[in-house]
Amino acid sequence: MIGTSDLAREFWEQGKSAACPIYDMHGHMGPWAAIYFPRSQPEQMIGSMDECGVKMLVFSHHQALMAPDIGNRASIEAVRRFPTRLRAYCVINPNYPAQAEADLASFEQHQEVFVGFKFLADYHQVAITDERYRPALEYADRQGLLVLMHTWGGSPYDGAAQVRRLAERYTNAKLLLGHSCHGEWEAAVALANEFPNLFLELTAIFDDRGGLEKFAAEAGSQRMLFGTDLPWFDPHQAVGALFSAHLNDEEIHNICHRNAEKLLAPFVR
Amino acid sequence: MNFFDCNAFIGLPARRTLYPPAPAAQDILDEMDFCGVDRALVWHIAQFDASPHTGNALLAQAIHSHPRLTGCWSILPNQAHEFPPCEVFLEEMRQARVAALRAFPNDHHFLLNAVAMGSWLEPMVAHRLPLLLSVERGANWPIVYDLLAEFPDLVCVICDHGCWGEDRRFRPLIERYPHVYVDTAKYLLDGGIEAFVADYGPGRMLFGSGFPVSYLGGMMLAIQHARISDEAKAAIAGKNLERILREVC
Repeated sequence: MIGTSDLAREFWEQGKSAACPIYDMHGHMGPWAAIYFPRSQPEQMIGSMDECGVKMLVFSHHQALMAPDIGNRASIEAVRRFPTRLRAYCVINPNYPAQAEADLASFEQHQEVFVGFKFLADYHQVAITDERYRPALEYADRQGLLVLMHTWGGSPYDGAAQVRRLAERYTNAKLLLGHSCHGEWEAAVALANEFPNLFLELTAIFDDRGGLEKFAAEAGSQRMLFGTDLPWFDPHQAVGALFSAHLNDEEIHNICHRNAEKLLAPFVR
Repeated sequence: MNFFDCNAFIGLPARRTLYPPAPAAQDILDEMDFCGVDRALVWHIAQFDASPHTGNALLAQAIHSHPRLTGCWSILPNQAHEFPPCEVFLEEMRQARVAALRAFPNDHHFLLNAVAMGSWLEPMVAHRLPLLLSVERGANWPIVYDLLAEFPDLVCVICDHGCWGEDRRFRPLIERYPHVYVDTAKYLLDGGIEAFVADYGPGRMLFGSGFPVSYLGGMMLAIQHARISDEAKAAIAGKNLERILREVC
């Protein structure tokens, strides 16, 4: 087994822990052009979640991200099929402002589906500071919604500098840094320490040794959120990385469920 | 289930890295103890950064008194007589407990083909000596495809094949060449292990951690809880690599 704690033993032997459920705060769904996914359909994803004790997945469907012809419809349908296991981010594609405006206008009709918004600026090639995101950000700030942004170190679209500009302006929305400005660990920690409404989401950090320990020590485990990009990455790989990082059980509880439970409390009853 | 890691390295990298290095053999052994890994096939980062000669010597020295660590050296074309003749080199490997080889053709400026490397690759096929290639460090997919077209019986372990689920790239090689294997270091794909085993059986996949770049235990837990038989888990965890090294003649 990995590590020495009772919690580590439980995950090693059972694959999950009733006392330590997991909230995966960064997921997707459906096919993706560049990858073969064995388990991309909602039923298959729920199966993976069950095996690792993932209680809830908050996701944005790949079609919502990359097929503007379809938009958020696929996310809405999946949440309505599995309302106790799934919530979604409403994707804002700034290249289609009219669609974004319509999604915003109908946001309240989908309160049982959406917990906030998802920006994929590197892929849509519009910086998160662009005016076209502003209506969604102002709405999220007024309502205290979650905003999951793909962030990547050095990116001109969603690097640490762009995140800082948003964080300075929007202090009530919960800003979730997807991938934690990947590779710019120092900048991610600095942002988390400066802005209390900002959280470090860990998708792809589980595969980069050193990041977990650094975030826990310098930003605090209360600011870290479990995420896997499911159906991309195996949740067990992420849990194995958590235990390999020599984190204590309290830190692992914070990362796996406590922080997410607080963030999701207004949306999940 | 015993874990035998096929893809880990030690040593101080020349450039600044995101990951904390494992400078000495004891550093990886400590992590192996913490995570429950029995053995590891290790190389030295100086083989890539400095030169195969420098790194090979450092590795031999580092693993000398640690029987849980088996060595993996690196090679270059030998037209300029940078190494001793192959058979002499193979004997040096045996004496140093080195059981496999790596090559970094892109970064070390050579072509991994019969013209440049035949004096190594032909004996490697004859001796069933494994060649480990990282498609992230020093090689790429076209190099692997071209190499195997020329040496279809080479024992070749493809490492670090990317977290973007590279099945479309490695499955054609698995289907065509019977001695090709893939490691798990970057194979984070949810359900990937199960899908691979369903199509090809458990004999063609090796546990590799990617340490110290990646966490040692990430893929261990993925293997431990994969929806495959206990025998299949044990094969991937370590038995396949044990068999490959046992078959070196």
